[in-house]
Amino acid sequence: MITKRFSLQYIFAFSLTIFSIYLVFFLNPEGAPRIVLNLFTFAGIYGLSAIGLNVHFGWTGLLNFGHASFMGVGAYVTLLLMPHAAGREGVVITTGLPFFAALTIGIIAASLFGLLLGLPAIRLRGDYLAIVTIAAAEIFRLLVRDLESITGGVYGIINYTENFQRYRPSFIDDLSDNLDFSASQGWVCIAAWISILFIVLFLKRLNNSPWGRALRAVREDEDAVRAMGKNAVWLKLQSFMLGAGIAGLSGVLLAFNYGSLESTVFIPLLTFYVWAIMILGGVGTITGPIFGSIIFWVIISETDRLAYILFENANGQQLAGVRFLLVGVLIMFLMIFRPNGLLGKKEELLLDVK
Amino acid sequence: MLDQLGNGLLLGIIISVASVALSLLYGVTRIVNFAHGEIIALGAIATLFFSSPLDYRVLFLEKFSPLGLNFVISCFLAILVCGLFGGLLEVFLFRPLRKNDVGNIAVLVVTIGLSILVRHLYLLFATGKVQNFPLELQRRQTYLFFDMTPRNFNVLIAGIIVMIIVGLLLTYTRLGKAMRAVRDSEELSSVSGINSDNIILLTWVASSMLAGLAGIFQATINDVRWNMGFLILLLIFAGTVLGGIGTSFGAMVGGFMIGILVQVSVGLPFMEGHAEAKNAVALGIMILILLFRPQGIFGQKERIS
Repeated sequence: MITKRFSLQYIFAFSLTIFSIYLVFFLNPEGAPRIVLNLFTFAGIYGLSAIGLNVHFGWTGLLNFGHASFMGVGAYVTLLLMPHAAGREGVVITTGLPFFAALTIGIIAASLFGLLLGLPAIRLRGDYLAIVTIAAAEIFRLLVRDLESITGGVYGIINYTENFQRYRPSFIDDLSDNLDFSASQGWVCIAAWISILFIVLFLKRLNNSPWGRALRAVREDEDAVRAMGKNAVWLKLQSFMLGAGIAGLSGVLLAFNYGSLESTVFIPLLTFYVWAIMILGGVGTITGPIFGSIIFWVIISETDRLAYILFENANGQQLAGVRFLLVGVLIMFLMIFRPNGLLGKKEELLLDVK
Repeated sequence: MLDQLGNGLLLGIIISVASVALSLLYGVTRIVNFAHGEIIALGAIATLFFSSPLDYRVLFLEKFSPLGLNFVISCFLAILVCGLFGGLLEVFLFRPLRKNDVGNIAVLVVTIGLSILVRHLYLLFATGKVQNFPLELQRRQTYLFFDMTPRNFNVLIAGIIVMIIVGLLLTYTRLGKAMRAVRDSEELSSVSGINSDNIILLTWVASSMLAGLAGIFQATINDVRWNMGFLILLLIFAGTVLGGIGTSFGAMVGGFMIGILVQVSVGLPFMEGHAEAKNAVALGIMILILLFRPQGIFGQKERIS
């Protein structure tokens, strides 16, 4: 009976996703490939990030509102280790590690930052942890903006995409000529979805391992985990590191998708986007954020059209505001009326402070 | 360093008033209100709407006209609007959630959604422009050993008076006692004949009015922006945490300390040329406090892990 219900949930989520993609084609008779590619790239990157957040919140019950900083650490460490140009004058740095070495170090750095941020998690109750993580993420952003000599500050980092694009297979270029989309974005999109595939397989395996069960036990009842002789604190820290590492990878992909990186990318709103995707997809699920992310980005990318109709004399900043407004509504309504999202199980939700 | 003290006191009074409001609400309802900043911004934006000259067209999309009222009357009206907004939030959003036993974390996430929604409504209707109250410019004067304009000095005095009044009300009136009773235990206070729903409603109204006042202070001292509340929200959290969450007196002192710390830290030797990072100092202090003395300076010891 239970399995039947969940498979129904899957069918519903899957059809909704297909329908929303169809909607994009329907609403954009011209230039659909480019729009859909853009959508899938963002959906892949944010979905990956939401999978990481789900390890924190869905599996372990850690209320992390500093997810943007994990993405930021991954992105900045990776980019700064590779050849790039930074700052107001665009100082060119030609020496650096190859892409995969830099990426590995970047992900490890994000994990270590997760460990650092996870240390308060040992001592703090849920709502306090939310404040600490969001504050730590802001500190990170302010420091990145301030250390202009290294990170480029508000002027940002540029000229780094070639490090990654040189691995682009040639079939993408052929395809991009035919279908009229950006080849470099196509490569980022493919990389994002390959990453998602591997991470989902990896997490599925972890989820059924003794380690995954212990992690969910921490969420349910920490004292019971302690009584069974498991180190709950270390489990929480491991969860923080795993989720932060995944977020770091998605941050790197985000940087390659933008083509230039500056500190304003990692404002708290980025975290809230990822939260909305996670809740929409289903807290505590592995594949939920993927569906959530696609549907979320369809909504986001088609809002502009709605915004034009509703507010004809608004400027660009205000039109962008309509999207965020919708994100707020989405978070509120989901949390009130369907906290388990598309795929989540209500019994597995941790919504009260213990 | 001392030249920053005046600015520190001004930032302190803003954070202090807002922290008292946040702390009051948290104490009674246990809601960590991320939408607090938006109520602060409402105070400022409503004042701007009431007081701007009739022909002033920057603020609102063409359909809405400012009212051009007297400035002081506008402030009072704006505070009433904030109180009304807080009351409506409680009646139509948070009371139903409470009745349905929605958990704290879910409510916290709801306040985040609310904050994003309301903030971008401001962006739509009050535009993204930085605006000022229709007040004449003033020259700085020296009071004791710090400089500020006479208007800002009045703001400081008004803030201190308001906080003394709030402190007295909480300590000595029946309502204040009832609020503290509900804070300590909602069930026990219900048993002793306190209508906890009414008390929580009044708490929302009082907290929102105080937040609106903080917004008016902030806008008078600095300016009106659509995201002014969110920019200062984390500093308010820092002030609340530093003083001890749920303690009104602690929040007053904590808010002042954070304000002064943020401004004075600009003058520190290692901060030279890094004035933009001043907020990071306050947030760092907050994290350290939470790690090593989570009950804050004045809070009672309580298990929060």
